[in-house]
Amino acid sequence: MSPTLSRRDLLRLAGAAATASAAVPVLTACAGAPPAPSAGGGEPGTFTVYWNAGHDYQAYRKVVAEFEQANKVKVNLQKYQWPDLRTRLLADFASGTVPDLVEEPGGWVQEFAISGNARSLQDFVDRDGEAMGFPADWQPVTVERNSYQGKVYGVQLHLTCNTLLYNKAMLREAGVEVPSTWEEFLAAARKLTKDGVYGVALNQDYTYLWPWMVQAGVTPYEPGSGAIMEPRAAAVEALQFQADLIHKHKVAPVPVSSTDYSGPQKLFSARRAAMILTGPWDLDPIRKTSPDLELGVAPPLKHRTRATQAAGVSMFVPAKAARPELSWDFIKRVTALEVEQAATKETGMLMPRKSWSDLPEVQSDPDIKVFADALPTAQDSSQQVRLTGQLGKWEEQLKVMYQQVLIQNQPAAEALDAFARSAEGYLK
Amino acid sequence: MRKALLHITLGLAALVTVVPLLYMVSLSLQTEAETLAADAVLVPDSPQWGNYAELFTRAPFGDFIVNSLVVAGVITLAHLVFDPLVGYVFAKFRFPLRNTLFVALLATLMVPFFVRMIPLYVLMANLGWLNTYQGLITPFLMDAFGIFLMRQFIQPIPDDLINAARIDGASELRIYRSVILPQTRPALAVLALFTFVFQWNEFLWPLVATTTPEMRTIPVGLTLFNQEYFTLWHLTAAGSVILFVPTAVLFVLTQRYFVRGIALTGLK
Amino acid sequence: MRPRTLQGRYARTAYLFLLPAILFFGAFFYLPIGNVVATSFRTGPQADRWTGLGNYAEALGDPAVRHSFLVTVAFAVLVVIGSIVLGLALAMALDQPLRGRVVFRVLLLVPYLTSVAIVGLLWRNILDPELGVLNRVLGALGLPEQQWLNTAPLLTIAGVTLWQSVGYTMVLFLAGLQGIPETYHEAARIDGADAWRRFWRITLPLLAPTTLFVSVMAVISGLQAFGQAYIITNGGPGDATDLSVFHIFNVAFRTRDFGYSSAQSVLLLVVIVAFTLVQLRAGRRGEVTY
Repeated sequence: MSPTLSRRDLLRLAGAAATASAAVPVLTACAGAPPAPSAGGGEPGTFTVYWNAGHDYQAYRKVVAEFEQANKVKVNLQKYQWPDLRTRLLADFASGTVPDLVEEPGGWVQEFAISGNARSLQDFVDRDGEAMGFPADWQPVTVERNSYQGKVYGVQLHLTCNTLLYNKAMLREAGVEVPSTWEEFLAAARKLTKDGVYGVALNQDYTYLWPWMVQAGVTPYEPGSGAIMEPRAAAVEALQFQADLIHKHKVAPVPVSSTDYSGPQKLFSARRAAMILTGPWDLDPIRKTSPDLELGVAPPLKHRTRATQAAGVSMFVPAKAARPELSWDFIKRVTALEVEQAATKETGMLMPRKSWSDLPEVQSDPDIKVFADALPTAQDSSQQVRLTGQLGKWEEQLKVMYQQVLIQNQPAAEALDAFARSAEGYLK
Repeated sequence: MRKALLHITLGLAALVTVVPLLYMVSLSLQTEAETLAADAVLVPDSPQWGNYAELFTRAPFGDFIVNSLVVAGVITLAHLVFDPLVGYVFAKFRFPLRNTLFVALLATLMVPFFVRMIPLYVLMANLGWLNTYQGLITPFLMDAFGIFLMRQFIQPIPDDLINAARIDGASELRIYRSVILPQTRPALAVLALFTFVFQWNEFLWPLVATTTPEMRTIPVGLTLFNQEYFTLWHLTAAGSVILFVPTAVLFVLTQRYFVRGIALTGLK
Repeated sequence: MRPRTLQGRYARTAYLFLLPAILFFGAFFYLPIGNVVATSFRTGPQADRWTGLGNYAEALGDPAVRHSFLVTVAFAVLVVIGSIVLGLALAMALDQPLRGRVVFRVLLLVPYLTSVAIVGLLWRNILDPELGVLNRVLGALGLPEQQWLNTAPLLTIAGVTLWQSVGYTMVLFLAGLQGIPETYHEAARIDGADAWRRFWRITLPLLAPTTLFVSVMAVISGLQAFGQAYIITNGGPGDATDLSVFHIFNVAFRTRDFGYSSAQSVLLLVVIVAFTLVQLRAGRRGEVTY
């Protein structure tokens, strides 16, 4: 631990410097380098897991303890925020010292399957799938978004979707029925908007665009024909509808660009917004900050169809992980129905197993039940783009376009056309 | 009259710099519900000193503090040894390639750290230095900022002082230690302060170079108090207040070197 | 004129003193930078396909790259000028005997002691148009509420940066003012020069090494600003605060195009080196030795 260098250290430094300089560029060199003896830089008896800092549930701690007992290893649960986890992981991929298991926020599984950094789990699925109910007991969208070229690369851990949250008291006082369609939603928002209270609050983050798009029947990208955001008129309508809520009807505040998603939830908790469109992650903070707020949860809105966007986290095993057998054992344990049940009981999180929907914890909780009923209509909105390997650019430009319309009030048609033109260039 | 005006202006400026930080202190003493409340709470109902204790029960916060102190402390000492020496060479010596080397040195400041991060990480992984103090410390033993700073402050020292010492037969290292260094105390104080502050708050490298919670430094450890979709503000703010204390103490200690006259005579 | 042999001896001493630095910067800076340059000629998520100057050609023609560069220059100009002028003014004020000056020094430097990330989170909270403290205070004072981050995003993050960094330039100038012997001012005062003339004729020229240092460093760090966009605005609204380094970071770690991001880093490096050389040349003319 001494910060001063011993002579041996210096020799190793010189050696490492020589290898690093010979291996230009490092990124490629290391793709071919032999895997380091100890994963994640830990001890041989250590099993390293990268986890989201917000998902350190008691239910999972129990799984970790049982896993340690059964496999005689020590679990090093490394908790990160998503952007930090990604930075860390890309550095690991470059050096070859990878963790045994990674939780990811949705979408990375296919990305890393394409780039060769994720290990196919198909051999394990073939062997154990039937016993654990995979893929039969998983919502189909969760299997599809974690597969690549017919092989499974990841297993969904949580499955979430967006729906409508509303303040029951406010709707009652304004004499407003719970809206079900876009038209009813706009009418309700208008009636609910009064001094200091907005009818609705929209999120600054572009991913909140998708529920509207799927309700309008828009396909983000059709690989066969190369069509982008078609039918275009429906896409323009969906985008302009949101902007109009803010700038034309003035029933929603102008969102602020940020790395934070909790703006609408805070306004809702503060009784400054009567309705928000969000996922189950906002239930807990609302109940905590405003325990006496009469919270209502309604199904996703309907336009051409009633649908919503699928989201939620998965797990995958890096290609160079030293003990995939153990990693798979962890996946099996943490996705068992009893664990899903315990986690839902503890946090209200939604789960990907079909049989989870039938649990008493789900059926007897009116809020969770609404979400559970919406899950089969949940769609993955970026999968086709993801499979081209161009998702990064797509999301970057989508974010800019979404905010130009919602915050800066650019006409939706113009912004969407520019976005699609640019996307045509790199999606080939 | 002039003095009064000066006082008022400075007072207003100080108000602008300090009030937002007082708000952070206020946040650190609020309940979780208060931090999330719609109308921002300025003064908590009853100060929640327990937030500070909670930091230590939720995470190995004591380890974070020790790690931060060791890493930032050792790096600062290393800078005090290396930066003035190299700065002195660039300020007072004439040698082939001097200007080229100096520009090459400055160029090291012009590449954002994350651009070098992955090659550096691979180097450290090959050395087996990930998750160790030497892995956290060695890439930062000196930097062009400190060297440039010292060069600029050593430059005005009269050459005659150096030449006189040489005529007296003093060795070059002795000249540096007993003629140059004592003249640069305000600059050394600045160097120590800025180096410590910078390293104390460093985030990216400790994030990637540590692989167990016990080796994290405070800034990296603080990210544990964010949930997936929201921040536990009361804990984050409490951690930030703790993060802030050592740098503030260091400044109070070093600022006396900025009082005119003390540097050269040692007297007020 | 020193004899040749003596010159040689000094050069040897110089290189002896420089040896640790040469080894250190070679291993931890030039080796990785060499890798960055090598990566900039390659493409693909593993940066394993040779593309020659392809990334550079793409970067030069990429409107998003050009836009982020212009945003960055505007940001840097605001921050560099603001921090030098304000920092020097505060240092001059606090260099005189003044009751409570130690307290003022501490209070003015306080924001610099905190990390950019925490400052960012704090201001994001304060500036929130609906729920932030600032609009609450403005409302209480009967002033109109503002949407700082939507109407003037770049100016706002420049202001936050200035808020944090002005104490830092102040300290550097304070240290620089220590190097000016009191006798110069006395002499000028006896000659009847007023405060304004003394500032232009004595303080500023003798402060030249410090000013050069402060401005070079301010330009370098201004052009490399990152945390403000990363923490506060996420580059938005739209692309209004898409600072260069933030853009390059996203290309590397979100889009995962290390080749393209390396090429953009190299271009940024070239630009900053050019700016710095100009400053050093100008500084050499302005430097006074006494």
